[in-house]
Amino acid sequence: MLLALIRKELIALSRDLHGLAALFLMPLIFIVVMSMALKDVYSPPLSSLPYALDLRDDGPAAKALAARWAERRGQPLPLTRDWQAQLKSGQFKYVLIIEDGFGQALHDLKAPETPHLRLLAEPGMEPALFQGSVAELMAVLGEARARSLATRFLGTVPSGIADLGRFVSGERFEMRQHPTSVQHNVPAWLIFGMFFVVSAMAGLFVQERESGTLARLASLGVPNAVQIAAKAIPYLLVNAVQALLMLAVGIWLMPLMGGHGLSLAGVDLAALVLMLFATSCAAVALALAVASFVRTHGQASAVGPLVNVLMAATGGIMVPTFVMPLAMQQIAAASPMNWALSGMLDVLLRGAGPMQVWSHAWPLFLFALVTWVVAALRFPRRVRA
Amino acid sequence: MLEVRGLGYRYPRATSAALDGLSLVAERGSILGLLGPNGAGKTTFISHLAGWLPVTQGEILVDGQPLSVVRRKQPTRIAVAPQDYAFYAALTVRENLECFAACARLSGERKRTRVADCLAFAQLERFADTRASDLSGGLKRRLNFALALLPEPELVLFDEPTVGVDPQSRAFLIESVQALARKGVAVVYTTHYMEEIEAIADRALIIDHGRVLREGSLAELLAESAARLRLHAEGLDDATLLEALSRYGVARLQHGDALLELAPGVSPATVLQAVEAAGGRVRQADFGRGNLGELFMALTQRSLRD
Repeated sequence: MLLALIRKELIALSRDLHGLAALFLMPLIFIVVMSMALKDVYSPPLSSLPYALDLRDDGPAAKALAARWAERRGQPLPLTRDWQAQLKSGQFKYVLIIEDGFGQALHDLKAPETPHLRLLAEPGMEPALFQGSVAELMAVLGEARARSLATRFLGTVPSGIADLGRFVSGERFEMRQHPTSVQHNVPAWLIFGMFFVVSAMAGLFVQERESGTLARLASLGVPNAVQIAAKAIPYLLVNAVQALLMLAVGIWLMPLMGGHGLSLAGVDLAALVLMLFATSCAAVALALAVASFVRTHGQASAVGPLVNVLMAATGGIMVPTFVMPLAMQQIAAASPMNWALSGMLDVLLRGAGPMQVWSHAWPLFLFALVTWVVAALRFPRRVRA
Repeated sequence: MLEVRGLGYRYPRATSAALDGLSLVAERGSILGLLGPNGAGKTTFISHLAGWLPVTQGEILVDGQPLSVVRRKQPTRIAVAPQDYAFYAALTVRENLECFAACARLSGERKRTRVADCLAFAQLERFADTRASDLSGGLKRRLNFALALLPEPELVLFDEPTVGVDPQSRAFLIESVQALARKGVAVVYTTHYMEEIEAIADRALIIDHGRVLREGSLAELLAESAARLRLHAEGLDDATLLEALSRYGVARLQHGDALLELAPGVSPATVLQAVEAAGGRVRQADFGRGNLGELFMALTQRSLRD
């Protein structure tokens, strides 16, 4: 009985091209588009940002600093007469101005009255990129000033005096994967796609209730639990196929399209499966609960996507949680999609094992249990309606 | 086979009862026609038989056992063929039959046999591999019909099984229902088409507002209107005609015709002679043919329902 109903569900799904597109193609397209669109957010192209240099000091110190900057950021574009307009329009991401007297200021022990090194960024430059550029400029200046003062007072530049890079170390602790847009977008949109079964199942329930098939099954003595399981199991399988497909897209398709590839090297597969299963249980149980409340096709087509998009918007799927203000991050923590995403990122980026991600998995299982109970209590009413 | 005694039901927050002491009997091998306007309580009665609503007042017995017990032990003894196309549009005819056969706990050889038998009974063999969504209205009705028969139920309730089908399909479905009864199945047949009840029912039941208004064999019910004379006469105004007729029974006008319930012992020939003697010319007269539709309308009144 259960097998026959599961088989029915899978046959019906395989013949529903629109449904398949919504369940598989939609998250796949999101992964590709969003990964490509957000590629630079995770890996800013610092060395290829178009910039111009306004060298107003023709001394050796200014030229040396310009050369050092060019080593790190690439060669500047020619400074045009209307460079302000180009900067304002974003054709130049920034213009580096080395004022006259820069060399003298570098030699003086006193700090200058006004800065001799100015970085003018275009209005739309991302804050992180702007701050990073200013910080990098200060580091380059620091090296130059150390060399200058050493020459002035010691007559020579001792080895290593200006090698600031050897004083500072910055690294991601126990990083297994370099964070890329793909690393975020594959789990994020996979989770979104998995929860998209909410829409599919809500529509299916309305259709089967209206056609009388739910009632016919009930009159044949098919228990409610079997009817619910017959809906849940095929969609758990759908979620599994979605997971395989989306991971494959991240691993193989994204590099072919010029994006970063998803790597599962060092990833604990048991933890990955645990998180995927917990997410799937939550998604399917929520789908059953929503389906047991909607009465019409109109409600099904409105409520399902609404629930999905709201959870995705607040849960860090559409916008990564780390760029959200603190208040929004707290709201995000209430979204099951956020629990799932946090766990998945722990697995994919931090190499977390099953025990480490259990704190993300159990709320999903609890959520699944509660929504499942709601669905089971509501289901008989839907059959009778 | 089926005995319903004083069945009552009131939906939550409803101001009146959907069923109010409904009683009926359906025997094996016979067809019970169930007639009633919209809101009469037919759907509520079907919902009870299908097990979708609990029996809260009165009782439903199947061979002396409470319905709830029968449904728990052998739910497929009673089948409901709903008015809706209660099957999966994406599946083929055969896939639908196989799916619902499995749900009716059929398996192995019996399942294969029943699927084949039902395909043959509903003459759907040629369409076995056609998706249900691609079937015509008549074929969909036949599939709906076949699905109800899969578990070989002892009692089948057909809920308006011929709605929206062409005359050929309707004739086929009616003959199939009769064949089913001949095999010993108890049939309860609801419809709004009076001629279908007249064609196939052994007994009929007219219900409204959850109550039985009239019950009896078809002959008994039709006999109620057999003593009615309908005539159309010219040359007399309505008042004069009614006055002339009222000496022979209870007369009234309906759609331009005069209807006369003949008093005992009065022959229609006497009435016609009296009309002619009063100066009227009888253009049309109808007597001795009972009409279930008229009885139905007389009992349930003419006011529109939901």
